[in-house]
This record gives sequence, structure tokens and C-alpha cells, in this order.
Amino acid sequence: MKFKSINQEQAVWAYTFLAFPLLLISVFIFLPIVFAFGVSFFDWNLLIPDKPFVGLGNYIEIFKDDVFIKAVKNTLFYTIGVVPTQTILAMFLAFLMNQKIPGKTFFRVAIYIPAITSSVVTSIIFVWIYSKPGLLNFLLSKLGIESNIDYLTNPSTVLPAIMMLNVWSTSGYFMVSFLAGLQNIPQSLYEAAKIDGANTWQQFWKITVPMLRPVTYFVMVMSLIGCFQVFDQVFVMSSGGPDNASTTMSYFAYQNSFKYFRFGFGAASAIVLAMIIFTTTAIQKKYFPPDSY
Amino acid sequence: MKKNLTVKKLAYLLLATLLVLTIGCSESAETLRYTSWQSSPVEQSIIRQNLESFKKDNPDVAFKYEPIPGNYPEKIQLMLGTHTAPDLFWLKSFTAPSFYHFDILKPLDDYVQRDTTFDINDFFPVFRDSYKDRGHFYGFPKDFNVYVLFYNKKMFAQAGISAAPKNWAELENAARKLTKDTNGDGKTDQYGLVIEPAIEMLMAFVYQNGGEFHDAQGNLKINDPAFTQALTFYHGLYEKKIATIPSDMGAGWNGDVIGRKNAAMAISGGWMIPYLKEAYPDIEWGVVPLPAGKKQATLAFSTGFVIPKEAKYPDQAWTMLAYLAGKKGMAEWTKSGLALPTRKSVAEANGFYKDPVYKVFMESVPFAVNFKINYMQRWYDESNAALQAIFYKGKDPILTMKELEPRVAKYRLK
Repeated sequence: MKFKSINQEQAVWAYTFLAFPLLLISVFIFLPIVFAFGVSFFDWNLLIPDKPFVGLGNYIEIFKDDVFIKAVKNTLFYTIGVVPTQTILAMFLAFLMNQKIPGKTFFRVAIYIPAITSSVVTSIIFVWIYSKPGLLNFLLSKLGIESNIDYLTNPSTVLPAIMMLNVWSTSGYFMVSFLAGLQNIPQSLYEAAKIDGANTWQQFWKITVPMLRPVTYFVMVMSLIGCFQVFDQVFVMSSGGPDNASTTMSYFAYQNSFKYFRFGFGAASAIVLAMIIFTTTAIQKKYFPPDSY
Repeated sequence: MKKNLTVKKLAYLLLATLLVLTIGCSESAETLRYTSWQSSPVEQSIIRQNLESFKKDNPDVAFKYEPIPGNYPEKIQLMLGTHTAPDLFWLKSFTAPSFYHFDILKPLDDYVQRDTTFDINDFFPVFRDSYKDRGHFYGFPKDFNVYVLFYNKKMFAQAGISAAPKNWAELENAARKLTKDTNGDGKTDQYGLVIEPAIEMLMAFVYQNGGEFHDAQGNLKINDPAFTQALTFYHGLYEKKIATIPSDMGAGWNGDVIGRKNAAMAISGGWMIPYLKEAYPDIEWGVVPLPAGKKQATLAFSTGFVIPKEAKYPDQAWTMLAYLAGKKGMAEWTKSGLALPTRKSVAEANGFYKDPVYKVFMESVPFAVNFKINYMQRWYDESNAALQAIFYKGKDPILTMKELEPRVAKYRLK
């Protein structure tokens, strides 16, 4: 094969290698997205052959469904609670892990382990921790705080409990991103700061935080998307209960599609979720761009 | 030239991978497919043994057994929707109304008429008719369960209770006597009774009180006095702190509460028996029919075999169904006591009317009410959410039921 230019040669090879992954992504991601969008305009029950077109009917019904409204509120509460906590904690941990402290590798591993553990496993561990005779109540009683609640069946604690689990399990993952970002900050900046007499705290605020901005942006976007889509912890720990206090939007979509078999209705709720994620990410990009110092 | 070859090679490789992928997806089963869920290794071994006997009797029926390990109802519905459903599968009578409504099961009336050895009058009517819809049989029950009252014999002796409670008043009195603080730390650690904020358990009390979830036409009756009185009594036991719920005890379900000696009585079906024997062998328990309200009643659960309309081998599937739900197959399936037979002759042959434990279940059959709600599945989650609001949030039961009615009414199956 003759190539007209080096660019063309590169393009041909690039697409050759990309072809297979692109095909997989198209079949398993892009097509289903388009399909789900289409389905959301139909009243489709898998079990019966005819699927009448209902236009925006599913979307109208969704906003009249108070379980869905509750799910939206829960999801927003969850995201607003988890994203800042997670980001600040991950940045702080990364800063600590980047210092010359003894046992650094051990701490890095220990903090990262929750991130590589299956979420189902960590969820089950936390089910026990949060139970009435569980570890959390035990520790609180040792501190002299008498608390006798089952965190996962109490409507006011179930969602914060799941949020804590998520902060714990994903902070380590984002810490690694921040660590990589920290390694990229030129040492010379710190040296210059030291000469100017800046202490560690000032260095952190004036150099580390601004220089980490692209990583912070990445972490915020990823954790935002992850939080909006929270599903497995809810599925394993509370099944959306009690009284829908922990029903999130993805759990609602799952329930309706695969338990009540209303595919169109479930798809419509998933599309609404996608729209919310898209909008928030766009707002974030506009007002908190990754590369302004 | 050489580069040219590599590009071609790559292209072939891609094509080959695609081909393998597509071939891997297609299915070529020339045999009847039979599916069930999996709940325990013991159950699995009896199923396989049962199938071996079937094979001996019917060597000409080729079949494949494909159990589904988890999320059974979701998987079955997906298989039906994608036209890959097995020819014979298990269905709980409780989830069956949607299946009748969407008309996806094969009516079995013709087979019943032709097959003279398959005696349908031998089945207990309550379980048999739970697979009957608008005059057609869509399946036959393989086994059943009913709610009964389990109690701790030692705790009863300690509290000086000689006879198990026979009505609501006795149940409440016994529960009060049995509730105590055993280690003197000021907290109750032995409750009289453990109940669950679950609609099916409440329904047993509703039926005892002469109430129902909906009438024969499908109109909701959850705000009738007969329903709300039962709910008030049921929730009252918890409010008076003489009954507990599993989550208050850090337990997953009733079995753990009675097993850990946190409750003296529990309402449960036969699935409690193997659990107590295995996990808490030190508990000495007894079992009696549920106490009566205005009348005796309990909830009937059954699991049956059904054949989908789209079955590729319906005749063979019927042969298998007729064997497994027939006298011989059912006797083999139930003789170990893992499941209770829905055929009277089998129960008698197994000696279940004489066994001190199984007798209680068999004697509950005449007043058992079939748990069949003609609403789309979401009624169940809505109702349980309402009960959770009552038990966990302390919401007023009467008000909650008023709010629940329009929410459930939407999901009526016409």
C-alpha cells in the first residue's frame, strides 16, 4: 500500500487499530443509547408484541410520579454531599502521601484498596457495620454516645450512610489521580517559594491547589457522573428503601425496566438522568474550566 | 509489499473475530429446556434426582436442565421478551397474574383432558386454582407453603404458657408475657413475637379479620374497616413493644431473630425449618397454625410449572410437567420434607398428616387463602414502602393506607 503522506499513513494505521474497539463500543454503548432514546417514546412491555407510540407520554408521566421526584431529590442530595467531600479528601490524602513520611507505600496501598474491591463486597461489609448491633454503634458507644439505630432501615440515615461508603471507597481512586498531578508540578516552583519564605501551608494553597486544577476538574467530572449514576450500593444495601428514602434515579430506571417491565418508562427516566448529567457537566465546564489559573 | 500483507492479515483477523462472535451467539438446542431457580444445594440434588427418574420413565424425551442462579423473575421475563424462554419453568403463583394478563402462557386444558392419569381433582383446590385464570389452567403447582406460628418451647415453659395462642387476644397476652429483659440492662432483649413490615405477612391478619386487598372485581379494599383493623392490631403489637421487627434486632429476617433468642414466636412458612435446624440447632421449637381472628386464615404460597405459549416443544414439556407434578414425581420431590405436596394423595402417602411438624401445614390448607393480587408488580413495592413508612417512620397507619389507595389503583390489571 502506498501512502500519499505520513499523515495519511498514520490515519490508516490509527483506524486499523481503533476499528475493533470502536466496533465494540458502537455495538454495546452507542447503539443502546440511541435505541433507549427511541424506546422512551413508546409504551413498551417486553411481554406483549405491540408497543404503541406514546410520544412524550412517558416523560409527562415520569414528572407526575412522586417516586421519581423523590429519586431526583435523593440523587441530587447524594451528589451534592459526596462530590465536594470526596474531592477535598482525595486531594488532601494525595498531598499527605506525597510527603516524605515513613510507611508511605503502605498508606497508599491501604487507601487504594477500597477502590479495587468489588462494590458489592464493600457494600456487604458496610451492611454489617451499619446494622444495629454493628461496628459503628459499638464504636459510638465506646465514645460514650448512645446510639441505637439501624442506619440502613432508618429513612433519615440511610442515604448519608451510603454516601459515607461511597466517599470511603472512591477517595483512594481519586487520590491516585491527584498523586499523578502532584508529580507533574515542577519542583522548582516549591524551591522558589521556599526562597521567598513560604511555609508548607502557603505552598499548598498557592502552588499545589492551582497547579492541580486540570486534575481537580477531571476528578470533579468523574465523581459527578459516578454519583449521579449510583446504583450498586443502593441495590445491595437498601433496595431503595425504606419508603423510597434511598431510591436513586438509576435504581428507579432499573426497577421500572426490569421489575415492572415498562421499558419505555424506564428508558425515559434514564434519558432524564443523562440530560441532568450532561447539563451539570456543561455548566461545570463553562464556569470552572480546567485550564485557567 | 510487506506492509500490504500485514494490512490484509489484520483485516482477516478482524473478520475472523467477528465471525467467531456471531457464531458464539447463536443457539442450537434440539431439546426441551427446563428452568428453575436455585435456592440450596439440597434442593438442586433432589431436582436432579427427580429428573433422573423422569429420564428412566421417558427415555424418548430429550431435555436440558438450565437453572438460573439469581434474579429469576427478571431473567425469565427477559427471556420471554426475547423469545428465548425455556419450554418449562417455575412460576410463583404470587407473580402469575401479570403473566395471565399479558397472555404469554399456554393454556393446558387440552392436555388435561387427554391425559387421563393426570388427576387434577387430587390437587388441593386452593393451590390448583391459583394457576387458573378466566376458566383456563395455565400451570400446576409442584409444592406449597403456608404461614404458621413457630415458637420457642423453652421460653413458653419459662413464662408458664402451656398452650400456644389460638386467637388474637391470646397472641397478644402471650406476647406480653414473653417480652422481657433477660440480662437486666434495662433494654428488652426477648420479645414475644417477631413480625415483618411486609404486606404478605399483614395479609394473613387481614384475611383472618374477614378483609381482603381487593374484591373479586378488583376494587381495592385497603381502606375497609376489616383491613385497617387488622393493620392497627398488627402494628399495635409493635407499638406496644411486645413484638419486634428483624432490623431492630440487626437481623436479616425472622429466622435470625428467633434463632438468636430475641423473640419467642415468629410467623413464617416451611422455609424456616431447614434454616433453624442448620443455623440454630440448639433452639427447641414447636409449630402451630396461625392464631385465628374472626376466622381462621393463613396465606397460601405455591410454585408451579408453566409452559410458555412460544414453547418449541410443548408436548414434551407437558410430558415432563405431568411427571413432575404427577403423583410419582411429586412424591419423590416432597418425601424429604423440603417441600410440601399440593396433592392430597401424596401428602397421605408421605405420612405428612401424622408428622407432628408437617401436620400443622397440612391442617392449615383448608383455611389457606391464595395470595394473588391482580395488579401490576409495582403494587407490591408501593405497599411495602407504605408499611415501611408506618414501621420505620411512625407514620399513622390509617392515613398511610388512605394515601396508598390511589397510588396502587393505577396499576390495576384489567
